[in-house]
Amino acid sequence: MSVNPFVTMSNIEKSFNGVPVLKSVTLKVQKGEIHALLGENGAGKSTLMNILGGVHQPDNGFIMMNGKEVKMNNPRVSQDQGISFIHQELNVVSDLRVYENMFLGAELKNKIGFLKVEEMCRQTSNVLSQLGVSINPKEYVRNLDTSYKQLIEIAKALLHKSSLIIMDEPTSSLAEHEVKRLFKLMKNLKKSGVSIIYISHKLKEIKEVCDRYTVLRDGEVVGTGSMKDENLETITRLMVGKSISEDRFMHDHSLGPVLLEVSNLTSEGLFNNINFTLRKGEILGFTGLAGDGRTELFESLFGYRKKYTGKVKINNQLVKIDHPSKAIKAGIGLVPKDRKENGIIKDLSVVHNMSLASMRNFEKTGLIQEKAEHQKFQYYKEKLNIKVHNPRITIDKLSGGNQQKVIIAKWLEVNPDIIIFDNPTQGIDVGAKQEIYHHINELVEQGKAIIILSSEAPEVLKVCHNIYVMYQGEITARLKGEEATEDEIMSYATGSKREAEKIG
Amino acid sequence: MANLQLKEYNQQTSNTKTRLSWLWSEYSVIIAFLIIFIAASIMSPRFLDINNQLNILMQVSIIGIVALGMTVVMLSGGIDLSVGSVLVLVGVITVLALNASGSILVAILTALFVGSAAGFLNGLMVAKGRIASFIATLGMMAGARSIALYIAEGGSVSGEVSGFTAIANSDLWLIDYPIIIFLIMTVLVYVLMHKTRFGRYVYALGSNEKAALLSAIRVDRVKLGVYSLVGLLVSVAAIIETSRLNSISSSSSGVQYELDAIAAVIIGGTRMTGGRGKIIGTFFGVLILGILNNMMNLMNVSPHLQGFVKGSIIIVAVLFQKRE
Ligand SMILES: Nc1ncnc2c1ncn2[C@@H]1O[C@H](COP(=O)(O)OP(=O)(O)OP(=O)(O)O)[C@@H](O)[C@H]1O
Ligand SMILES: [Mg+2]
Repeated sequence: MSVNPFVTMSNIEKSFNGVPVLKSVTLKVQKGEIHALLGENGAGKSTLMNILGGVHQPDNGFIMMNGKEVKMNNPRVSQDQGISFIHQELNVVSDLRVYENMFLGAELKNKIGFLKVEEMCRQTSNVLSQLGVSINPKEYVRNLDTSYKQLIEIAKALLHKSSLIIMDEPTSSLAEHEVKRLFKLMKNLKKSGVSIIYISHKLKEIKEVCDRYTVLRDGEVVGTGSMKDENLETITRLMVGKSISEDRFMHDHSLGPVLLEVSNLTSEGLFNNINFTLRKGEILGFTGLAGDGRTELFESLFGYRKKYTGKVKINNQLVKIDHPSKAIKAGIGLVPKDRKENGIIKDLSVVHNMSLASMRNFEKTGLIQEKAEHQKFQYYKEKLNIKVHNPRITIDKLSGGNQQKVIIAKWLEVNPDIIIFDNPTQGIDVGAKQEIYHHINELVEQGKAIIILSSEAPEVLKVCHNIYVMYQGEITARLKGEEATEDEIMSYATGSKREAEKIG
Repeated sequence: MANLQLKEYNQQTSNTKTRLSWLWSEYSVIIAFLIIFIAASIMSPRFLDINNQLNILMQVSIIGIVALGMTVVMLSGGIDLSVGSVLVLVGVITVLALNASGSILVAILTALFVGSAAGFLNGLMVAKGRIASFIATLGMMAGARSIALYIAEGGSVSGEVSGFTAIANSDLWLIDYPIIIFLIMTVLVYVLMHKTRFGRYVYALGSNEKAALLSAIRVDRVKLGVYSLVGLLVSVAAIIETSRLNSISSSSSGVQYELDAIAAVIIGGTRMTGGRGKIIGTFFGVLILGILNNMMNLMNVSPHLQGFVKGSIIIVAVLFQKRE
């Protein structure tokens, strides 16, 4: 270890509304290292990075870069110091094109002030291709899949020559092979002397790329050291205070009758000839890479998208679902992905977000019973370990993972027979993930049916009875949960292999 | 031990500080109202006179009722520019119905029907036709005024049934009916927005329409309800306006009501883009506008300059909102 760290954050303290969030936190990052910042949901990771990025001001403590004290008064100052920040929540502007997003606020202009569009497009393509992405730089971002949006955020940070890159959960909606590419890139950056602070709840990733780690717990540093000297279990224990098994969940119950039957579902350009059945008590997984159409497929099934053909039967009854409210009536719920855009209502309080889809449960003679709402929230708060000091504050004040838990609670409260979870554990820590899997298992034991969409093969392997792999809008394989392997899923997901026999 | 006490003390001061900042952010309109009220009573001794106070309330009651509706649309992320024109159209048709039927009840029912139908039409354009509310209601603004002018042949129409004027010109223990109606409407809209599902849905869709739809809210229906509700409130205001002078002018009544209503809503702290704001805020926003008008009259400010003062106040209010 060299004597002078590249960046030192010393004794940082920060409170929100009188609640201390960071208590004398010290973080040291060396030049050319990848430093993992770990901790449970709400531990204070994003807050600490927001202070380094100039978004928040610390109540106490100071920041040194290259041995000199710097005051990060606003994000601009931090950028000028050579810090790039990939935020936890996506910040792309949907109504702009890809290259416009990349150069937002730093557009390239020629001498007389005209935009150099072609040059910007060229550079955009260049950076994106380093991440293995080939999208048209002139495409509107709103037409892109979430994982592309995340890749654009990453690419944007790479565009500027930075000496420190903060990555706050950059891989939460990426698929395995996209993550691999990112890691290769990170290792190259490291070699050229760039430091990276890496926040993630995927411990396997951390073991793979990170050199050192710092663990936060309730706003305090509880451990820091070299990654090589530790195994994942000790780190997990540092984070959540117990060890977490990585085994497959066992469910020893037999499946009931067919609940949902989908045949020949097709939507031009999104998905094609989809057939599957879902039985009572079954957990079905859908996985694939970006652009595989699984999200669009289930948004259609949920009535959010209307332009599709094919048949949907629930309990052997043909249903026509063209609005989410009809989906709920038919017994289908959907926990959407990309919580900032689709999940949270940021001006409503935490409690009101939880109850929004099930207002009927809290009404008496047409008036809302606020007290009943609060009691119900307390129930989920304990059940899912939601960290919130005052549930009357607006939901955007919660840490990312805790927002996600509230969204899950919202749909558990609706309590439909079929729940579709799209990337449900996005940003959720290892301990809480386990809780959610437990909860899902309880649901199926009660006779509900669950569909999990995930870009992470390990996640579907861990909890699902049956796994469907999709590639470019088509189902390419149906695998048994206990027999399938990650490699097998990967070869179907990339389209290099497909099942010969008809599925269904 | 001393250290601990110090810590506790620090905690307490920071608590009171945050409590104060919370009070300010939640109730800044009320505080602004109190300041203006005190300033007004110092500047003009006649201001505090009970008759003057009631006079202010009486004068704001019509705009107040319209502003309640405007709050609801703006919370949903829209705007309704047609309120003034619809008010005139409702007024004209109400007088015609009154004279033709001779029944006050028929007149009132006609008013409520015409108002909510116009609002429903706005709602259809916005929710089903997917026209931006600004454009849709701008069209309604021109259209409704034009029909009113056509029916009344550009002039005024007057009621011929005695008793109709009693609606706006009676009082209960000194308090005029319009004031009472305004207060009742405020309470009703407050309950609707804060205690019912409908209100919750309006906030949700004003904040994030896509997430609201994905929460299985029938966004279209909520929008239809919102615009119909504004129409209904406008027709209540129209009844008062018509009854007050027993006549309505198709050319000069209701002019710029949309601006006054929007001003009251903005001063009351409702965000232009929806999702955030309070009925109580609008109530005090209306009162602030009323006091300003009253003061300018008491202090003989030229009527030509009054618009300037009002405009400046709106801009200051928005600047304050931006600071948050
Ligand atoms: N603007 C804010 N106002 C009030 N409280 C806040 C605010 N921002 C963060 N907090 C609180 O600070 C705590 C730490 O939040 P932070 O976002 O740093 O957690 P995190 O470690 O990034 O968690 P996650 O893994 O879920 O992203 C949380 O309890 C959160 O509620
Ligand atoms: Mg975070």
